[in-house]
Amino acid sequence: MLNVPVGQHGLANGLRVNISVDRTIPIVAVNLWYAVGSKNERKGRTGFAHLFEHMMFQGSANVPKNRHFELVERAGGSLNASTWFDRTNYFETLPSHHLELALWLEADRMGWMLPAMTAEKLENQREVVKNERKERYDNQPYGDWDERIQALVFPPSHPYYHPVIGSMEDIGAADLDDVADFFKTFYVPNNAVLTLCGDLDPDDALRAVERYFGDIPAGDPIPPIPGSMDIPAKMGETREETVEAEVPLPRVYIAMRLQPFTADGIEAAEVVATILGSGRASRLYRSLVREQKIAKDAFAYHFPLQTSASMLLLGATGYPEADPEELKEALLTEVEGLATVEERELERAVAMTETGLLRRVQQVGERADLLSMFDQYFRDPGRLNTEVDRFRAVSRGKVEDFAGEYLGPDNRAILTYLPGGGS
Amino acid sequence: MSAPRGFRRDQVPAPGPVRPFSFPELHAFQTSNGLRVRVARMSRLPLVTIGLILDAGEGLLPVREAGWAALTGSSLEGGTRRRTGPELAEALEGIGARISLSTGWDATSVTLTCMAERLPAAMSLLAEAAMEPAFPEDEVQRLRDQKLATIRQRRMDPRSLANDSSARFIYAEDCPYGRPLGGLPSSVEAFGVEEARSHSRRRYCPNTAGLILVGDLELPEVEAMADEVFGPWQPRSVQGDGFAAPSNLEGGRVAVVDRPGAVQSEIRIGQVGVPRSTSLFFPLKVFNAVLGGAFTSRLMLNLREKQGFTYGVRSGFSFRRQAGPFTISTAVATEVTAPAVQEAMSELTHLLEGGPTEEEASRARDFIAGVFPLRFETTGQVASRLGELFVYDLPEDFFSTYRDRIREVTPETAIDAGRTVLDPSRMVVTVVGDAEKVRGPLEELPFGPVEVATPFY
Repeated sequence: MLNVPVGQHGLANGLRVNISVDRTIPIVAVNLWYAVGSKNERKGRTGFAHLFEHMMFQGSANVPKNRHFELVERAGGSLNASTWFDRTNYFETLPSHHLELALWLEADRMGWMLPAMTAEKLENQREVVKNERKERYDNQPYGDWDERIQALVFPPSHPYYHPVIGSMEDIGAADLDDVADFFKTFYVPNNAVLTLCGDLDPDDALRAVERYFGDIPAGDPIPPIPGSMDIPAKMGETREETVEAEVPLPRVYIAMRLQPFTADGIEAAEVVATILGSGRASRLYRSLVREQKIAKDAFAYHFPLQTSASMLLLGATGYPEADPEELKEALLTEVEGLATVEERELERAVAMTETGLLRRVQQVGERADLLSMFDQYFRDPGRLNTEVDRFRAVSRGKVEDFAGEYLGPDNRAILTYLPGGGS
Repeated sequence: MSAPRGFRRDQVPAPGPVRPFSFPELHAFQTSNGLRVRVARMSRLPLVTIGLILDAGEGLLPVREAGWAALTGSSLEGGTRRRTGPELAEALEGIGARISLSTGWDATSVTLTCMAERLPAAMSLLAEAAMEPAFPEDEVQRLRDQKLATIRQRRMDPRSLANDSSARFIYAEDCPYGRPLGGLPSSVEAFGVEEARSHSRRRYCPNTAGLILVGDLELPEVEAMADEVFGPWQPRSVQGDGFAAPSNLEGGRVAVVDRPGAVQSEIRIGQVGVPRSTSLFFPLKVFNAVLGGAFTSRLMLNLREKQGFTYGVRSGFSFRRQAGPFTISTAVATEVTAPAVQEAMSELTHLLEGGPTEEEASRARDFIAGVFPLRFETTGQVASRLGELFVYDLPEDFFSTYRDRIREVTPETAIDAGRTVLDPSRMVVTVVGDAEKVRGPLEELPFGPVEVATPFY
């Protein structure tokens, strides 16, 4: 069903390049993944990959501060970046006749970001990031849920223990030397995937990539991930935490430790998440929201981490006078109910996944990001085209085995938010 | 490998030749019961989006019925005369389609996206949901309780609270735009099965509705399908068009909504704007882009990049059938609340005084015109665009002439439009934050008396 064309190439300096042609609309997506994220941060420097992402917009040798945004917006493009546990991505979608502008901008900061770095820029972006932490984590009801869940699921020495945004203290401690070290270590062509998708000529585009990126020297091999990734497949117990916070309604989050996103057969996790929590015919909606009316909303999804482990997340928000214990028990009852699944639930999960993937892939920006992801995680961008087939191959037996293995009481972290903190 | 001779890394690369963009061809027809249908083919991927637009927006309702349009719309998931709610969900999701029910100020939309081969089944189910709702008692009650819980959540989320409060302080109490879109606890509590039935009877009919179909489809087939599926829907005469023009409160003041201990303040600076039908639409778009509609806007470059006050600041007009608000929005650390308000007002005032430079106007035009095709990538996006044509009665060539009209805007027409509509001395500053900390500094600003407002919901 999905037949996204992709030509794979590589430069001598190690940069992997994917080119996917689509002449339907005169736009092109340029998407760059650096294989560095919060998992590469050492203690005392949490949040640094994200702070660094901000620094990448402060200019490079040939591009003054803010000029990157200015030029792309001027060209009629949209752009952004994001930091995650396993990668930092930079992306723009613009009218296709501006392709070289995007290549020039990305190459200039990949190769020559340091000459433009100043203490003032670091200070300014440090404040912006602190504001971001306040706005999304500290000032938002339930804002710190992921920080707490990660601390329950992973031991302190594990690279996924700390949140991507980092701590206020560590954000404050980063200095210019850290910036330079980080850049030289991780922002190198041999640690990156560049994907171009849209209205382009593949040969011209590849030549342009060589022209702009070819001179950037390869870096040293990437150092090992700090901390310890050697953890058991499951947590070995149920861990619970209850927080009284300034929240309007009680909410329960439940997380299970799973194999990593790159493991064989991990699609079962995605299928389980869909059966449990996607759509109004999902088990959580049907049982907790519609029938029992103890939750006003419910969710379940696979948290796709690349290395050593990933997570299944599920949960529900209760009504004002709800008993959180009741909410928790209801969630666990549904989890336990996954010991048996029906064929039509599998069909529904596959149908929804297929429609969802096709919807997403309509946008060149999303398509490019997916290709980059499959390249970084699997060294196979074309894997996108067989994704739905893998879901179709998940049988009832595989789902039930997965549930039996990973969703039991020996592998749960439960976080409950109770209204009542603050005033 | 080295770059070819003549290659200059210190120069912005020149663009290539512009590539043409043509809009999906639009076909319009009407079924015998008056349902207006618009169809656009997009066959790159085997998907179709169906959107049924009902003339049932919140803007039509008096304050005691606030939220009823939204509640009636969401109650469609409760089931039909032929299927229960769970059965309806199973039937749709079993073929990979998820129905989305949404109500705004000007319409209620029932939409879904499905694989192209599932179109007949999906259309049939969507039509059934809209034409034959059952409104079962327990489902309606549940959705009402859900809405009450959501209102509670909004009250505690600083961002939503700021949006709702700002509207409340700009518009008069009896004006629909002064209340949250989803309603107030009192009006929501009064909603039940009878209200749902009555509202849908009044507003859900083919002769005031629009059907949008976008995607991998064949025109004669979908025409026949629409006729067959929606044919049985009875037309009705519909009364009432909502309010004529919004009434608003006195501006030139500052309202603080207290969140003791808040580490950040959510700031809104706003006033009544203009309706969607304004002749100033394009110059205002350009004016707004320069002020706060892009990253390289005056507000962003000042409050974020220069001062480090915030992670983001935006400005914008909410164009509705009547005049929705113009608002500047941002979130800043508590300690810099007053300086941030000062800087934002200062940027607005300066722009109204001096106008955009030729460079700024040019950049804004290029940005708006340039990003335009990005809003036509998906069947869902194109369906939304066609929905806008329908709801706001825009000319068929609105989108094909959009970029030309943006390019016609000059710094002069942009500033004229801004000056016609905006008046900083009439604006209301709303701050959701720690009143104890922010009140004093706000009182030192010249933007009017500062009042700590009592919660209104």
